[in-house]
Amino acid sequence: MSDLPQGAAERRIDSAGVVIALALAGLAAVLVWDASQLQSNNPYGMGPHVMPVVIAVGLGILAIGNLVEALRGNLPARESADAKAVWLILGGLALLIAIIGLGGGFIPATTALFVATATAFGRRAILADLAIGFVMTTLIYVAFSRLLTLSLPAGPLERLF
Amino acid sequence: MDAFVALANGMAVAIQPMNMLYALIGVLLGTAVGVLPGIGPALTVALLLPVTYKLDPGGSLIMFAGIYYGGMYGGSTTAILINTPGESASMATALEGNKMAKAGRGGPALATAAIGSFVAGTIATIGLAFLAPWLVDFAVHFGPEDYFALMCVAFVTVSATFGSSPIRGLTSLFIGLTLGLVGIDKLTGQPRLAFGIPELLDGVEVTTLAVGLFAVGEALYVVSRRHHSEEKLEPVRGSLWMTKEDWQRSWKPWLRGTMFGFPIGALPAGGAEIPTFLSYSTEKRLSKHPEEFGKGAIEGVAGPEAANNASAAGTLVPLLTLGLPTSATAAMMLAGFQQYGLNPGPLLFAERPDLVWGLIASLFIANVMLLVLNLPLVGLWVKLLAIPQPWLYAGILVFATTGTIAAKPSVVELSMLAGFGVMGFLMRRFDFPIAPVVVGLILGPIAESQLRRAMSISLGDPMALLQSPMSATLLGIALIALVAPFVMQGLGRFKANED
Amino acid sequence: MIPFHTRLFGAAVALTLAAGSPALSQQLELKLMAPAAPGGGWDQTARAMQQAFVAAGIARSVQVTNVAGAGGSVGIAQFVNGAKGDGNQMMVNGFVMVGALAMNKSPVTLEQVTPIARLTEEIQVIVVPANSPIKTAQDLAAALKADIAKVTFAGGSAGGVDHVMAALFAGAVGADAKKVNYIPFSGGGESLAAILGGKVTAGISGMSEYDGQIKSGKLRAIGVTSEKRLPGSDIPTFKEQGIDLVLANWRAVMAPPGITAEQKKTLSDAVEKMVKSDAWKEVLKQKGWDNAYLSGDAFADFLKKETVRVTDVLKSVGLVKS
Repeated sequence: MSDLPQGAAERRIDSAGVVIALALAGLAAVLVWDASQLQSNNPYGMGPHVMPVVIAVGLGILAIGNLVEALRGNLPARESADAKAVWLILGGLALLIAIIGLGGGFIPATTALFVATATAFGRRAILADLAIGFVMTTLIYVAFSRLLTLSLPAGPLERLF
Repeated sequence: MDAFVALANGMAVAIQPMNMLYALIGVLLGTAVGVLPGIGPALTVALLLPVTYKLDPGGSLIMFAGIYYGGMYGGSTTAILINTPGESASMATALEGNKMAKAGRGGPALATAAIGSFVAGTIATIGLAFLAPWLVDFAVHFGPEDYFALMCVAFVTVSATFGSSPIRGLTSLFIGLTLGLVGIDKLTGQPRLAFGIPELLDGVEVTTLAVGLFAVGEALYVVSRRHHSEEKLEPVRGSLWMTKEDWQRSWKPWLRGTMFGFPIGALPAGGAEIPTFLSYSTEKRLSKHPEEFGKGAIEGVAGPEAANNASAAGTLVPLLTLGLPTSATAAMMLAGFQQYGLNPGPLLFAERPDLVWGLIASLFIANVMLLVLNLPLVGLWVKLLAIPQPWLYAGILVFATTGTIAAKPSVVELSMLAGFGVMGFLMRRFDFPIAPVVVGLILGPIAESQLRRAMSISLGDPMALLQSPMSATLLGIALIALVAPFVMQGLGRFKANED
Repeated sequence: MIPFHTRLFGAAVALTLAAGSPALSQQLELKLMAPAAPGGGWDQTARAMQQAFVAAGIARSVQVTNVAGAGGSVGIAQFVNGAKGDGNQMMVNGFVMVGALAMNKSPVTLEQVTPIARLTEEIQVIVVPANSPIKTAQDLAAALKADIAKVTFAGGSAGGVDHVMAALFAGAVGADAKKVNYIPFSGGGESLAAILGGKVTAGISGMSEYDGQIKSGKLRAIGVTSEKRLPGSDIPTFKEQGIDLVLANWRAVMAPPGITAEQKKTLSDAVEKMVKSDAWKEVLKQKGWDNAYLSGDAFADFLKKETVRVTDVLKSVGLVKS
């Protein structure tokens, strides 16, 4: 989040707005490229590439519109962001994905997210939060697997149940 | 009048004390499962259906109805309280409902949802009893070109969700439309924007997008601004119950929502999303407090909730008269019937009127039970919001991810959830409205496939869109709705320039 | 009061603790993968098997896992990689997966799994609206040959069993399968409405989906894909109308690659016992499924032939690049 402008936005040219406009134009280009890879194997009516092209044209126009807004500095003012807290939650999400992906199981993964989020919101009692998160996610796990017979990802811990 | 007598007979069966108890248990179980993340009403019914197997037909049917309503209401509860809509039809509810909850008005929001669902359910049940044969005839003749035209009307009206700037609103909508392209093209089986990732072939899950944008994005945004002003959540501010003003502002949206929900729900491809969007934008246009929309307007909960429930009753029209299960939930209803070796269809009304009317009466009773059970619980539910902020948001994120994990425990899906969370954060920061993204994802693919079906049938002749009177009319409405505001705005701007 | 509560409770317990009735069971602890989301056909099959396995005391516990995605492509990839050599795991699949794997260019194929048995099948039917001038399969064939573009077929998703059948029908009557005007709909309800409303020429689906409409006379069935007429039905087969089209939408169960012959035998025996149990028969009746049990080499052979046939058809309609 470090590239976000700090404090009130610049009056004249809004660089973040320019980035948004460029991103939209890029998205439109991807759409057109992807549509060109399709083959129209339906002999009747419209092919699968028509809609992507229509949407790409729309995105292109909107990219110009956003660019104009940004050059005029018409974007709403932004307050500074607490980047550290945002990264902490994103770190928690990354940890969750990693634990699930590596087969660590549902309970450790969601507990990690719980602790990271609580810390981001200013809690400093990591051990207590670990315990709370663990109890809560264990209850969810048991409810899903025992009562509803829906299996959530199981790691070494979950196999004990 | 036969229908009336039959309905009365069904009622007589349904209000036996034992059956009332079953209805209550069903509502309780349904709500309990329905509030769980990632479990919508259809899955709730699917999971709890075996519970009803062991009961006699009457009791089983009524418990089934209870589970169904409980599941629907459970989904609205999470949408309102923690901004995680469990199904696409509760998206509109989350939009205003969660803002109300954060302003300490969660009680009235939950109440207007429950009562609105009751009102809509009751009216729609009556409609079902008397209009079904006529409606179904109309519904069957609704062709792909007519659906496309209806979709155009829906697209035009979604501008109500656009927020302050048309450019940013349209940008959001087009991002949603782009996301809607991802996955296997329904008509030719070719992958679009999947980049060789198998998990993307099924497209972007609406709930993943909505939960990512709403719940995860909101958490990131709130935490990023924490040092400016600590967000203080008061679970109850003012009355826990609906005030006189709330009632006054709710009853018309309930009725209008029903008018949207029931007929569109009765269309085989109508669904629940379009009526909820139409209801939301209508309420925004008609409201005496349009400035409250986006900040927690009760009309924005009352209307869409009623529309959602009425459309659910509407799906019973094709189910009972034609045997057409037109939604996932209706398919589960079909499973409920099959327990007794019955196949709903054109013969069902003639062969087993007792069961059909029994079901309709059961739905009514279950709806009453929903009120009986849930209105007293409203006070308890809103206490959830009294949880200290760190734990509340940590809990919301755990709930949100659990929903995705339960539906699709894959790294790709979870990364998408996190990615949409970041997108939701950035969109909030740069003041892009969130709702149009979800709207685009839902409506885009439907509009495209209906249009292409119509074109396939007409062998590519676009005039087919105007030859059907229904579609020509709807397209006309869409055109007027599209052009009128621009003309007005243009005149306004012209005047402004002259000054 | 008491008996009602007990019944209710019994039902709830039976649901929640489907695993773990110790009485008759052997040591089998199975894991069944449904490569689809909860609620669909494959999931229902897996959960019905779970019920029957435990009720008949064949397995001590059965756990169903859902891996949804791309017609089973995601599930089978995970199954082949994750369950290799595991004699306690099985996966449910069916006709649709054959086409989905080919269309999605899946790196994993059905040759990599160990076929155990076909369990159920459903016969397919072609219907036309009651007021249609088309009365027989030959009428439809004539219409196809006259102008193939004007004959529109409504059915399920592109590349699925209905689509394959439309192409096979066209091929069997001597029309160009490549030019079939097939319009996919999501869900049987939507396509049925299009047929009843006269928006399309004909509809293709599984028999059960249109049964009520056919009996009530709103739709006319012009042929079924079985070898012989279905019991108690007067709908002619395509075969007896001189069109060589025999097809069924089947569901089957597979074991992972790399299991020993012994492990394969254990699983095959368990499935055979399950299929013959009263619990399974009860399930079939409740769900309206037809038993189509086929195991061993006969099933492996069937699977191979079906794969070739489906892939060829999908190539001919351009869904799979050859």
